[in-house]
Amino acid sequence: MGTGKLPIKNLLRKPGRTCALVLLTAFLALAVFGGSVVVRSLRGGLNSLEARLGADIIVVPGEMASKVDLKELFLQGTVGEYYMKASALDKVREVEGVEIAAPQTYLTSLKADCCAVKVQIIGIDPGVDFTVKPWIDRSLSRDLGDMELAVGCKVSTGVGENLRIYDRSCRVVAKLAETGTGFDTAVYCNMDTMKTLLAAAEEKGIVHRLTSDNGDRISAIYVKVAPGYDVSDIEVRLAAHVRKTKTVRTRTMITDVSESLAGIARTVSLLAVAVWALAFVVLLIAFAMMIAERRREFAVLRLLGTSRGGLTGLILTETALCSLAGGLLGVGVASLAVFPFTTLIESRLGLPYLTPSTGTVLALAGTTLLVTLLVGAIASAFAAWRLSRVDPGTTLREGA
Amino acid sequence: MKKAIIPAIIILVLALVIAVGSQTFLGACVHEDGSFGACHWAARAILGEGALLAVLAALAMALKKERAGLYLAMAPASLLGMLTPGTLIAICGMDTMRCRMLMRPAMLILFGIALLAALVGWLAARKEK
Repeated sequence: MGTGKLPIKNLLRKPGRTCALVLLTAFLALAVFGGSVVVRSLRGGLNSLEARLGADIIVVPGEMASKVDLKELFLQGTVGEYYMKASALDKVREVEGVEIAAPQTYLTSLKADCCAVKVQIIGIDPGVDFTVKPWIDRSLSRDLGDMELAVGCKVSTGVGENLRIYDRSCRVVAKLAETGTGFDTAVYCNMDTMKTLLAAAEEKGIVHRLTSDNGDRISAIYVKVAPGYDVSDIEVRLAAHVRKTKTVRTRTMITDVSESLAGIARTVSLLAVAVWALAFVVLLIAFAMMIAERRREFAVLRLLGTSRGGLTGLILTETALCSLAGGLLGVGVASLAVFPFTTLIESRLGLPYLTPSTGTVLALAGTTLLVTLLVGAIASAFAAWRLSRVDPGTTLREGA
Repeated sequence: MKKAIIPAIIILVLALVIAVGSQTFLGACVHEDGSFGACHWAARAILGEGALLAVLAALAMALKKERAGLYLAMAPASLLGMLTPGTLIAICGMDTMRCRMLMRPAMLILFGIALLAALVGWLAARKEK
């Protein structure tokens, strides 16, 4: 007797049982795939943050360091306005061991017309900048001109459109690639544009701490230490040489973020393992019960000439079909829960979050399906092996 | 219970979640100064679309003869709901705004499932005849 279509007919004949098995494996696949994507995204975000910061040390006004958690800028994208005299840049450059020192000026818009939230505007000096400029260069083959902006990927204004900030119209000339950090919601301009915007902000009656100083102030200095010098030594020298400022080592900041990430990754992994173990045990019990319930049916099949191998194959095929359907369902549900809500997850976790490439996601989905199939096969293999040992005549005579 | 009613029950539940959610936990942005953004009006439109979908689903459960036609009406209503936030009615510009982070993706998914359920329901209702 041919058993080709029998597994499908068996599954359709008992829709309740089939649904339960599919849902169980779907739950397993959802936990594995969803967990892997979130952990991968967090790792991707951290790598992106590391690459994006670029500097070894950041020098900021002492007032800013005491009032603002600097991680906020890099993770959430807004810090407000804090300034120090531009002469601090010369002082930093005087320190031996400083290879490059690039200034940045921060300004927060009140309500840009693209958005109903504050937008962080970051002024850079394209001549010396080594942190933002490499990213802008990927989308723009020239320096930012006056009243031109490069916008983070999460600002909706497109290239060629105008963005009004403090009633000044700026043209968007580049959109930066996603970093998974707060930089994605910031807009970037050169220092001359920044001065214009600061003046416009003052005209609007918004008091900035810059008003007393001709616009000649900066918010941060990104420092790259020359090869052969110890970053800690340079940090100490900078602290001693440049007054009323605070030096921050980016490595320390990244380590802090990395520790938070490790905690979350551990929790997600533990949850996934717990779900796996639970699902495996439940599948073992479910298959044992299902096969015990179907002993007579299998005994009849044996008497009709189905070999032991054929019977095992029948059970494994049924399991594989259920696992495949469950795996696809789980991966689908996890995709709907994770990918459309990446910004929400990033915002709630407060950590850099960069979704992996399509290739990686597909590889993760494939691995999840494979693992789901394997777990289902292992869970049913034991029950199938036990069943194939039973004598069909005895089973039918027992009336079991 | 007839199989063709099951999609209508699913759509009714989804429609209620959409209608209630659009004004509460899946709703538009709340501005600090109390003003409304464009997304507020998108949420109001979604409330209406959710309510319409709920009525159609309830009718599909009650009226056997008209069930296939009602399912056919639910499909474009769901599509309309999917297109409302961001395409037909503008929402806030920044990706980090609540309406972009939560309301739009949630509505795309909920209305999308409703659309699929309506099509499945239509097929089932045709067989029922």
